[in-house]
Amino acid sequence: MPDLNLLVASIISGLLIGAVYGIATVGLNLIFGVLRIVNVGHGAFIMLGAYLAFIVYTSLGLPPLLGVVAGLAVGAVLGLIIYYLVIRYLHDAPELATLLATFAIGILIQELVKAVMGPDSRGFVWNPLAAYEFEIFGYKPSSFQILAALSSLALLAFLYVVIYRTRLGLAIRAVVQDREGAMVVGIDVERIYAASFALGIMVTVASGAILAAYLQTGIHPYMGEIYTLKGFVIAVMGGLGSIPGAFIAGVLFGLFENVSYLLLAGIEGVQPLVLTRSIAFLLLLLILLVKPTGLMGR
Amino acid sequence: MQGQNKTLLIAGAAIVVLIILAAGYFLFAGGGEQPATGQQQEEQPAAGQQQEQQQQEQAPPAEEKIVVGATLSLTGKYAKEGEMSLLGALAAIRWINDNGGIKIGDKTYMLELKYYDDESNKDRVKSLVERLIKEDQVQFLLAPYSSGLTAAAAPIAEKYGAIMISHGGASDKIFQQGYKYVVQVLTPASRYFVSVIDLVKAIDPEAKTIAIVYKENPFSSVVAEGAKKYAEQQGFQVVYYQSYPADAQDLTPVLQPLKEMKPDIIIGGGHFADGQLLARQLYELGIKPKLVAILVAPALPEFYETLGDAAEGIAYPSQWEPGVKFSPDNVPPGYEWYGPTVDEFLQYFKMVAEERGKGDLVPSYHAADAAAAILFLAKAIEMAQSLDPDDVRQAMNDVAIFTFYGKIKIDPETGLQIGHEMIVGQWQNGRKVIIWPPEAAEAEPLYPMPGYTG
Amino acid sequence: MALVDPWTVREAVRKSLPALAIYAVLLAAYFLIPGKSQLFATILFYALLGQAFNIFMGMTGYVDFGYVAFLAVGAYAFGVTAMALASLGSPGWTLIPLGLLAAAGAAMILASMVGAIALRLRGAYFAIATIGVNEGLRYFFEGANILGGSIGLYIVKDLKTLFGDEGYQFMATIAADLLMFGLAGFTVLVTAWILSSRMGFALQAIREDEDAARALGVNVTKYKVLAFMTSGALGGMLGALNWALKEGVLEPETVFFIVYTVEAIIIVVLGGAGTLLGPIVGALIYIGLNYVSNVYAAPLLEGIGIKASGLHLILLAPILIAFIIAAPNGIIGLLRERIRNPTIRRFLV
Repeated sequence: MPDLNLLVASIISGLLIGAVYGIATVGLNLIFGVLRIVNVGHGAFIMLGAYLAFIVYTSLGLPPLLGVVAGLAVGAVLGLIIYYLVIRYLHDAPELATLLATFAIGILIQELVKAVMGPDSRGFVWNPLAAYEFEIFGYKPSSFQILAALSSLALLAFLYVVIYRTRLGLAIRAVVQDREGAMVVGIDVERIYAASFALGIMVTVASGAILAAYLQTGIHPYMGEIYTLKGFVIAVMGGLGSIPGAFIAGVLFGLFENVSYLLLAGIEGVQPLVLTRSIAFLLLLLILLVKPTGLMGR
Repeated sequence: MQGQNKTLLIAGAAIVVLIILAAGYFLFAGGGEQPATGQQQEEQPAAGQQQEQQQQEQAPPAEEKIVVGATLSLTGKYAKEGEMSLLGALAAIRWINDNGGIKIGDKTYMLELKYYDDESNKDRVKSLVERLIKEDQVQFLLAPYSSGLTAAAAPIAEKYGAIMISHGGASDKIFQQGYKYVVQVLTPASRYFVSVIDLVKAIDPEAKTIAIVYKENPFSSVVAEGAKKYAEQQGFQVVYYQSYPADAQDLTPVLQPLKEMKPDIIIGGGHFADGQLLARQLYELGIKPKLVAILVAPALPEFYETLGDAAEGIAYPSQWEPGVKFSPDNVPPGYEWYGPTVDEFLQYFKMVAEERGKGDLVPSYHAADAAAAILFLAKAIEMAQSLDPDDVRQAMNDVAIFTFYGKIKIDPETGLQIGHEMIVGQWQNGRKVIIWPPEAAEAEPLYPMPGYTG
Repeated sequence: MALVDPWTVREAVRKSLPALAIYAVLLAAYFLIPGKSQLFATILFYALLGQAFNIFMGMTGYVDFGYVAFLAVGAYAFGVTAMALASLGSPGWTLIPLGLLAAAGAAMILASMVGAIALRLRGAYFAIATIGVNEGLRYFFEGANILGGSIGLYIVKDLKTLFGDEGYQFMATIAADLLMFGLAGFTVLVTAWILSSRMGFALQAIREDEDAARALGVNVTKYKVLAFMTSGALGGMLGALNWALKEGVLEPETVFFIVYTVEAIIIVVLGGAGTLLGPIVGALIYIGLNYVSNVYAAPLLEGIGIKASGLHLILLAPILIAFIIAAPNGIIGLLRERIRNPTIRRFLV
């Protein structure tokens, strides 16, 4: 008996969390697209952004979504530091070496955050537009979740402008297409790498702030791990290196996680919400079976 | 070119660091352990006392020591519990030492804690437990957190006949496996919700339906199973029994049906992050039963800081609360008072926490659990009048103490805790108060919860 | 035919000697250095994890991020066998061959199923599809309440029925470790044989350039599947010994724990991917460093007043990073680049 109300509720909440998943994956894909590096420490940067939103709201009293701005700033600095200290020595190293290095960076960030902020699970309640919330088919999406989804779109637009409307973006795209060719026409590839890495980290940290505004609870040093995992899956689903692919796959992933619940809820003796996780990964395998380079992959 | 020079520089630096570490390793491993090795070869399992004396000869003149070992999860997913356990154990040890230590015959022993971080990883636990027993000469251990880690440590501890006291997160099943030296001080997972169900039954004969929503995880699944069984025994109807995955971010699909179903009571949860989420989403979805009781998360001050109004009226089962009224004046029959009073414990906790730069921490029940493990052990050693683990294990069967933590008594057969009972706390007007059992209560239950419309 | 080719045999034996020697030293240390047997057993576990993982990952360049699923499935298969045998009243010793067979078999079935889909994928796509397999399986166990669901499977009681109390003690502590040493020796021989045989060359060709290898007539699919299944079966047996026999409690949360895969990668990369000695050296360094920083460095810092949990990981991470910058091809790779002496080079396999 898939109830229409439940279906609508699942679709809406799926779309909202999906937009956040999407933006949380874009940075991963940008870094892979340009540098061919899978950032295994991805989740740690998301966690960092979530803490920024938490601090912005609880210590400064500003809306947590301003954490996005803080995230962009912190991400830029951090991205450049990590690039110049570590990543640039690993261009010609095997793919595996970069996996290991980014993993270690992730651990370092986690433990440093824990040393400063403690191991507690933090959170806040922020719902400035609660009075304007409306109901669709008996489901009332929270205003802060809608705001978070809209911020994801805004951040995506920002990234779009940088990549498609600036000279830097042009150079980045050139490097993605043909590294040697870009060098020949006088592009400083080293600088483009640094800029892209920093840009990817910026977006990732900022997306952590959006995620915090969406979830509001459960902010702790190890919260990022699940987003590394989901980020990988979404990135591959959309096609590695493809920025629109990552976003679309994120939305699909969110949608699928939510809607498949309704189908599973009818089965006796199982735990449907837990099984949706299995189903989401099954979906990944099916997509790869049909299209081995993901939805938008080349 | 420049890049290459720097690479070489870094490579050089890395190698230097490695060499220093390696040298340190061999110095420590080789130099530091030679005497210990010599001892161990002569050592018989029952030579606890003799060992203490040997350690004594090397140490500067002081009282004799009993070292308690622990692998604590200071990093990884149990880091929060691990930190609390550490401080709680240190507080109890400091209290015992300040109050005359442990007397065996005419000798006085001071307690000391030796611990390592197990990273919440069971493949770290094994070598650390062995190290504690064989190299740090420890016969008494605090078990690691969670049943997975305890299971990894148990065979090693059993092999060397060291006692392991479980003070957190272990599922009941651990105690059905026939380990001889594993005992428990806290109420087993399957009985977590017993007090909550008793409370509802006592104050509201009308309440009939219970919904259980829990995290799919070794600990909370056992809690949920136990709660379901007990609720049914007590004549309640479990109308909803659903779980969510460990890292769920949105429980809406699971919670939505409860809007129509309107159960009288909702219980469940699992850990910190998801417990907050559960309370918040129940509130946002406007699901208002007569009582909501959630595991673990509401026991922490952050719960109210985070949720504000959404936390109001949320109850929780707890092993212990800073406001409990257990004192030497209300010792139940068959038990004897032992250890610090509640105020003393709080004071000692603050002392050790301040030393570690965590002065503003309020002890959670994880801290009390670890402290209780230390007290239980100290009492058993005193009763045994021996440091031999077999004697102490035997004595543990006869320990029946009433402490700041409440009753402690184990089942001799399995080591499972049977004395200690859960209390029920509730957030009322932004404050945690104890509402059950009546003899420990600070306030009347806020029942039904605010916002309940029937 | 390649099996009995005398050149291959001689090569395999020569190649396996240094690794076998290291394991022999570990075994001696296990017995002779008191109070550290579990440290050496832990190193052994990680060395084996790295070696089994390396057979597929190191030689083909494909990273299986869901590798720990093989260990988990093997452990569960062993656990189920133990329960079955205990209820049938079989003698205890039957568990070892039957349980290991079941573990290897279950892992190979999983390998062939995953392989059918994932082995068509390249590079990072393969890596991430396999994450999906691991996580999907874990949530399937939990959500569909298979073999104890999220609470897990407890087999200590069954093991005690099979071996008796004393016997269990022996099995869980010493015998499990010795069997792992046996498995380690076997894994070394398998690896050495693959490296010396036609299969090794084929896998190397795949790693260098899969399309070219295919064009040259190498049966790419066959060798990939063979390596994948071998690697999976060894992993399954390792999980059975280290988790089912040694610990006796299997929780989906801890046996499908993705960190083990990441650690396997660390170990293989540290030591040198595709080499025989690499994973062993990697495990020695990784666990050694971890143990040293945890057991010595952290208390030392605490002694001088720096008290913070997680210190040793803060120390370990930069060391790892520095290491990987200095030697991106792993220790064995670095030594091979630097050392020209042919006698020594012969041992760097």
